Amino acid sequence: MSNRTAPLWFVGPAVLLMLVILIAPIIIAGGLSFTDYSLGNDGARWVGTKNYEKIASHSTYTKMLRSTAIYVLTVVPISVALGLGAALLINSLKFGRDLYKTIFFLPVMAALLAMAIVWEFALHPTIGMVNDTLAAGCGTLIQSVFDWGWLPFVNGAETWYGHACANNEFPLWLRDRDYAIWTICFIGIWQGFGFNMVLYLAGLTGIPRELMHAAEMDGARSAWERFRLVTWPMLGPTTVFVVTISSIRSFQVFDTVEALTSGGPSKTTYVMMYAIYEKAIKQNLMGMGAAITIVFLVFVLFITLVQRYLVERKVHYA
Amino acid sequence: MIPAHYIGEGWKHAVLILGAIIVILPFYVMLSYSFKSPGEIDRNEGGFFGAQEMMVDERCIVVGGSREDCTFRPVVFNYGKAFSEAPLLRYLLNGLIVTLSIFLIQVAIALPCAYALAKLRFKGRDFVFGMVLFCLLIPVHAIALPLYIMLAKVGLTNSYAALIIPWTISVFGIFLMRQFFMTVPDDLIDAARMDGMSELSIVWKVMLPTAVPALLAFAIFSVVAHWNDYFWPRIVVTGNRDLFTPPLGLREFKGDADGSFYGPMMATATIIVTPLIVAFMLAQRRFIEGITLSGMK
Repeated sequence: MSNRTAPLWFVGPAVLLMLVILIAPIIIAGGLSFTDYSLGNDGARWVGTKNYEKIASHSTYTKMLRSTAIYVLTVVPISVALGLGAALLINSLKFGRDLYKTIFFLPVMAALLAMAIVWEFALHPTIGMVNDTLAAGCGTLIQSVFDWGWLPFVNGAETWYGHACANNEFPLWLRDRDYAIWTICFIGIWQGFGFNMVLYLAGLTGIPRELMHAAEMDGARSAWERFRLVTWPMLGPTTVFVVTISSIRSFQVFDTVEALTSGGPSKTTYVMMYAIYEKAIKQNLMGMGAAITIVFLVFVLFITLVQRYLVERKVHYA
Repeated sequence: MIPAHYIGEGWKHAVLILGAIIVILPFYVMLSYSFKSPGEIDRNEGGFFGAQEMMVDERCIVVGGSREDCTFRPVVFNYGKAFSEAPLLRYLLNGLIVTLSIFLIQVAIALPCAYALAKLRFKGRDFVFGMVLFCLLIPVHAIALPLYIMLAKVGLTNSYAALIIPWTISVFGIFLMRQFFMTVPDDLIDAARMDGMSELSIVWKVMLPTAVPALLAFAIFSVVAHWNDYFWPRIVVTGNRDLFTPPLGLREFKGDADGSFYGPMMATATIIVTPLIVAFMLAQRRFIEGITLSGMK
């Protein structure tokens, strides 16, 4: 290898792998999405846009789009808000910062599959810790706090907690079609907000102190005013990034659904990654799986391009 | 009287502690149940460690063990079963093989490429860099299906190769290293060339040592992602237990488990989660740096 051909040798393997592993699959998925291809059955028929039409009309797939949308639109705003909230609180502490940071970051490190199984156990309808605790709280101070009966115009017996206590009926969580998707969302938020917190903490260290003092001098007396006028705008680039990465991650939710609900009950947790897995891998409907893959890629590319656009527009002032 | 700023500090801690309790809850459940006997788990008693009274394993009796051989302390029973019921050691070893191979190949491919993109002049450099930027947009999980079909066509599913190949190219690693190498002064490289070093040895003997901090962060990023990954192994490994990674092993355990096996299952979960958690505790700053690497641009 002479020094003149060196670049070729250095770049060659990477380029080859990019083509084979990242770019070719998109083209293959695009092609297969117009067929009824299945493995072991080489004669694939061209079916035109039938797979895509199914995604738009068939109830299984509209449920898929619905549960994916619910998941993303719940997990992203809440985990971003909690991440920001935790970062602001921790950043203003005098002591104990590192301890909270460590604790909130733990779920990010732990294998989600393992923790999902633990959550399932904690949420077990009869022997789970969550329902046990809720039941134990009935008739105590905890109930009077959480049935909101002390608020004006709220009848404690008719609130969710009051009701559950009165009938001693607590949700089945993952097995209840009204609760399953929210429970999966909760685990997603639990797992992801620490990551957002760390990114926000890094963003906060980038805000010059003088700016805060200047704002205070100029009459931004309350903490809220300073947040609105200085901190929030300065965190603009961080927020764009945090929202993007949270969105892409939540679009890809799979572990919790596969291990805990298998898309059910009655397809209420049938998210896209799980649909790809079930249709293509388990049922060998590769054409359909490829079409979902393409729809998925379009969503993800769209989010990333919006992010790039916002970054180009310079949402930062620093 | 308590000064106002103490009250302010106080409610902040109250809120954060409440959050911390919810965050820790499943870790507490996992660890606690990995210590307890099935009866204690069912009745939800015994505090954190359980009473650790001797218990009899009914299944062991059914298959003909004597009463003495089948009596255990719950904690010994749970962790013992975790290893004996399934080849957990094998799973852990597989996890190690897969994550380390992925990382080493990623570096072997990305480092020379990043060096060439940052420091060498050649035709098509901008094109290659544009390709890297485009590929940064593609989440590998999203294209799992066509990758699976390709691997199936060449007969590679159910092999270590299938677990490793899709991750051998890390465009993120290339991008990161290129940005890093841009900051390395040209003089250093010129001096190395004067000394008669080949370009290849410049990559490994000059550039690599300067990049150690960035590489370490990238290593953490890569190892954490692939040790915990469940989606890809689930797709390419079907049935062949010898290839199971730790999350797959745990999932299999859950599939077979009935009520009396929650203890061993939680022990398995603990064993799988512990290595990274301990490493994180020991080198927090580095880990946070590594995991949030993708946030620094």
